[in-house]
Amino acid sequence: MLSYIARRILYAIPIAFGVSVVCFSLVYIAPGDPLQTVMPPDATADMIAIVKQAYGFDKPLPVQFVIWLGKVLTGDFGMSIATRRPVLDELVLALSNTGLLALFAVPLSFSLGFIMGTIAGCFPGRWIDRVVTGTAVIGVSLPNYWLGIVLVIAFAVEWAILPATGMGPKGSSDFSLLSWGDLKFLILPVITLSMIPIGIISRSTRAAIAELRNQDFVQTLRAKGLSEWAVIRHVIKNALPGVLAIMGLQFGYLLGGSILVETVFTWPGSGFLLSKSIINRDVPVLQGAILMLSLVFVLTNLIVDLLQSTIDPRIRRA
Amino acid sequence: MPDTAILESPTKTFEDQAAPATRVRTYWQSVGYRLRYDKGTLFFGAIVLAIVLSAIFAPWIAPFDPYKESIIGRLKPFGWRGHLLGTDELGRDMLSRLLYGGRVSLVMGIVPVIIAGCIGGMLGVIGGFTGGRINTAIMRTMDVFYAFPSVLLAVAISGAMGGGMTNGMMALTLVFIPPMCRVAETATTQVRSLDFIEAARASGAGTMTIIRHHVLGNVLAPVFIYASSLVSVSILLASGLSFLGLGVRPPTADWGLMLSTLRQSIYVVPIVCALPGVAIFITSICFNLVSDGLRQAMDVRL
Amino acid sequence: MHPGLNKAASLLFGAALALTATQAVAGGTLVVGMTAGDLPITTGNPDQGFEGYRFVGFNLYDSLILWDLSKADKASELRPGLATEWAIDPNNTKRWIMKLRSGVKWHDGCPFTAEDVVWNMNRSTNEKAPEFDPGQFAQARPYLNNYAGVEKIDDMTVAFTTKVPDSLFQYNISYVLMVSPCRAKDVKYNWQDFATKPSGTGPYRFDKATPHQRMEFLPNAEYWDKARVPKQDRLVLVPMPEGSTRTAALISGQVNWIEAPLPDTVARLKAAGMTIVTNPYPHNWTYQLNFVKGPFTDKRVRQAANYAINREDMKELLGGLMLEGYSTVPPSTSYYGKPVLYKRDIAKAKALLKDAGCVPCKVTFAISTSGSGQMQPLPMNELVKSNMEEAGFQVTLMTMDWNALLDLVRAGVEKYADVHAINVSRQTQDPFNALIRHVWTPAWSPKGANWGHYGNEVMDKQVEAVMAEFDPAKRNVLLTQMNEMMNEDAALLFVAHDINPRAMSPKVKGFVQAQNWFQDLTPVSVDP
Repeated sequence: MLSYIARRILYAIPIAFGVSVVCFSLVYIAPGDPLQTVMPPDATADMIAIVKQAYGFDKPLPVQFVIWLGKVLTGDFGMSIATRRPVLDELVLALSNTGLLALFAVPLSFSLGFIMGTIAGCFPGRWIDRVVTGTAVIGVSLPNYWLGIVLVIAFAVEWAILPATGMGPKGSSDFSLLSWGDLKFLILPVITLSMIPIGIISRSTRAAIAELRNQDFVQTLRAKGLSEWAVIRHVIKNALPGVLAIMGLQFGYLLGGSILVETVFTWPGSGFLLSKSIINRDVPVLQGAILMLSLVFVLTNLIVDLLQSTIDPRIRRA
Repeated sequence: MPDTAILESPTKTFEDQAAPATRVRTYWQSVGYRLRYDKGTLFFGAIVLAIVLSAIFAPWIAPFDPYKESIIGRLKPFGWRGHLLGTDELGRDMLSRLLYGGRVSLVMGIVPVIIAGCIGGMLGVIGGFTGGRINTAIMRTMDVFYAFPSVLLAVAISGAMGGGMTNGMMALTLVFIPPMCRVAETATTQVRSLDFIEAARASGAGTMTIIRHHVLGNVLAPVFIYASSLVSVSILLASGLSFLGLGVRPPTADWGLMLSTLRQSIYVVPIVCALPGVAIFITSICFNLVSDGLRQAMDVRL
Repeated sequence: MHPGLNKAASLLFGAALALTATQAVAGGTLVVGMTAGDLPITTGNPDQGFEGYRFVGFNLYDSLILWDLSKADKASELRPGLATEWAIDPNNTKRWIMKLRSGVKWHDGCPFTAEDVVWNMNRSTNEKAPEFDPGQFAQARPYLNNYAGVEKIDDMTVAFTTKVPDSLFQYNISYVLMVSPCRAKDVKYNWQDFATKPSGTGPYRFDKATPHQRMEFLPNAEYWDKARVPKQDRLVLVPMPEGSTRTAALISGQVNWIEAPLPDTVARLKAAGMTIVTNPYPHNWTYQLNFVKGPFTDKRVRQAANYAINREDMKELLGGLMLEGYSTVPPSTSYYGKPVLYKRDIAKAKALLKDAGCVPCKVTFAISTSGSGQMQPLPMNELVKSNMEEAGFQVTLMTMDWNALLDLVRAGVEKYADVHAINVSRQTQDPFNALIRHVWTPAWSPKGANWGHYGNEVMDKQVEAVMAEFDPAKRNVLLTQMNEMMNEDAALLFVAHDINPRAMSPKVKGFVQAQNWFQDLTPVSVDP
């Protein structure tokens, strides 16, 4: 087991390096000037040239990459051009805010998706299966940012029972999980964000369970006289590794892919930070955010892998 | 489970492979037979067809010019002066814009999937068939791109390239290549290890012949099914890019962009402003259901 | 009654009285939804355009010369700030002498002196000074083109020198904000630290901020201008770039003031009981034209374009939230004069185009999808296009995002000679920004804002005369002539002036909207 873990971790290192190369080069295919947005609209080309020198944006790219990577490895992601705050501070703050969303969206969508999928998979073709598959396909087909807008109009503007935007009446720094006034701000974003994972997880759980139930070993178990409940437990245990892999991917989606939902709700998380850094051409933030989110994603997949192989040692990957 | 992603167990003898056409036809016949009795899939397939046709023939069926503005006729409700679905923030006919918008949205939904299917599928087949170092090289490169959540990668690439329709499609294509490649590689590896390939090789068939006759036939179906399920993802992602301002530019009619500009007018005619979202939703759900139906009919497990 | 109980009752009563008393003087919390995409920086001259100056710059800080924002009925003028008086040196037209206000204290308690002014100027101009801040250099430079130096004469007097005689230098100085050297030394010139505990002399003190989300200010009870000690208890700034988000936030009570409500949401806001405040201000939604190449080099074509615009329709498009633009500055400006007005006249436009031999007259406009001061660029440009096409133009709109448009504009007309006009809204707060930079040869792009290279000797002479005239009344006459000349020559394509709409909850009291980009929030109170 230990050597397997070590191998998996070693395997993740070249991927992480590849990711960092992609992140770095990605940003430099961008047209236009990274300093564009810090300058007032009235600033002329002459002034920008002077300021560009002052910021030192003039070294060759490979040199910049090595310098950048060296600094990143020591935890220095540079300074945001737009806010002049350290990128790391920005990332930590944004990730913790997104983490708060995930804290609610993950249990909600994973458990709901798993339960729905299991029930549907146990009764394939029955009405409950149809309801679940119908709901699931709606979940994966809804443009979630549109759902977010519709929810805001209904709950915030027309009925005025939930807030429309932002994170808590006092911002994220004073956010308290114990205060209803703060928690209210989570409801709409969490619901909107959970739709896709609920759909995907319930669909794949259903497929896995339905398929396993038709397999020989299940027939054998039944023939042995096991109760239906015990059979289902066996089926679930066998379906779990596959479902876990899907959940890992969805966790990554919740962290990085929430960009549209966070934009709609102005939730100050990682997706929002990313979209803002794209609009502002804030190169250091953009690089840092993509790198950080991808590394979290790599890490999640690594953990899922290890979990899978603990549950079912047969599926260890080379 | 060694059987995933294989259509039927190809345990036939060498003689059968000399005439693969009959085998494929019988397979497709059985698929057709199953589809004919799947009323749901047929129904949603018909809607998809209707959406695609209405997009193709938009210039002929659209009641108005989708770019003709009218300042007095802004944001009018359903049925106002012959505008069946009302008008948008510049007084342009919503129905016509939705029809034209379907063109862009469908192109952005389907083209990246097709290109990615070709490139990814090819890389997967090459990797899976040759194995060894080439396979490792291809798959490890794919793993790097796999390390990015898909939405993040799409947004980052098209954001870096500066938005626009072509850049958006390139971004989506790049996002879809790695999973396509993986599906094709898995299927190929599995086919390769089977007896009948060994038999073909033993009988002196060249590599290209083997790939053409035996591998492609068995890899095509899973790749096709996987691609069909990606179309709805691609439509959602593409409209998301437009919504963020990274897709097509105004005044081009596109569902995601329409949703984003009409968002400002949602207090005037909420129903009209919700229409582009409805269009995205209906298209995406129909593609999903048809893909599910096809998967069942073709008996593919991914 | 039991004595103890009695005592308790009176205590309670007293507490209740005290409570109502504090409530009566308490001014509530003003929460502003800004259009900015992020919180403006707090190290002096802010970013996020003039909105940053409006809410952060002139609240935390003062400049030597301020704008008088107390009147709603006429265009605002300069007033004393940290300088009580300023005048040109009688022996040297390149030297300004400014008397400083005494008794002013920075928020950190240090006294404000002439040395602080010198230090502040070095901070944004002198790369060798320890206090030099490249960020401030970027922000302040547009206003310091003609700045040559500053020296301390005595503790309460400084002298500025300019590169060339410039009667408008006082306007430039009004944009340069002063921060506390004491605090900067405390944080060892670490400007990022300074940003989290800024110190100025302004009517508000910084309380706290959550990056990207909100910034909170408290009244500065010791403000040197007692009339402008804020009436509210707390000022909160929240960036909300998305228009429908601002509307939703105001209606659901998350904020009680929003900037620039979308025209389409005004009816809904009014239905929810919100107040819409507007007033003309020095803003110009216009097109700068290409004077190097293409149809607009012909004056008749420029006039035809101006005659073609239907400004009444435009006003309807914006739900009334604009002022018809017939000149570079709105009519309430002191140097507006009696310019030629190109009222909508399609027949005249057609005749002029025919005269000029430009039929159909093909032109290309570079426009943006959004941007600071751009109002509703897409629908407005579409309307301009259809207006002009009625008159015989053939307009191609090149749509790009705001930063791409700024890129193109800064690069100048020579690099993009096939663009015939650019749609960039300009602030016209002071004579230089309003008039001179559009038509002056030394301001040709890429050096300045004269994108299309408008320029002739007569106009340049006029500019020189303005800059050399230190008598305000005489200067105003020259500026009036200049505005009339620009109209006569159809130097721009005039379309609209924004009227600076903002929406607020009925509980917000006491706001007077000045005809200015900057606003005074200090008289505002918010009912509970």
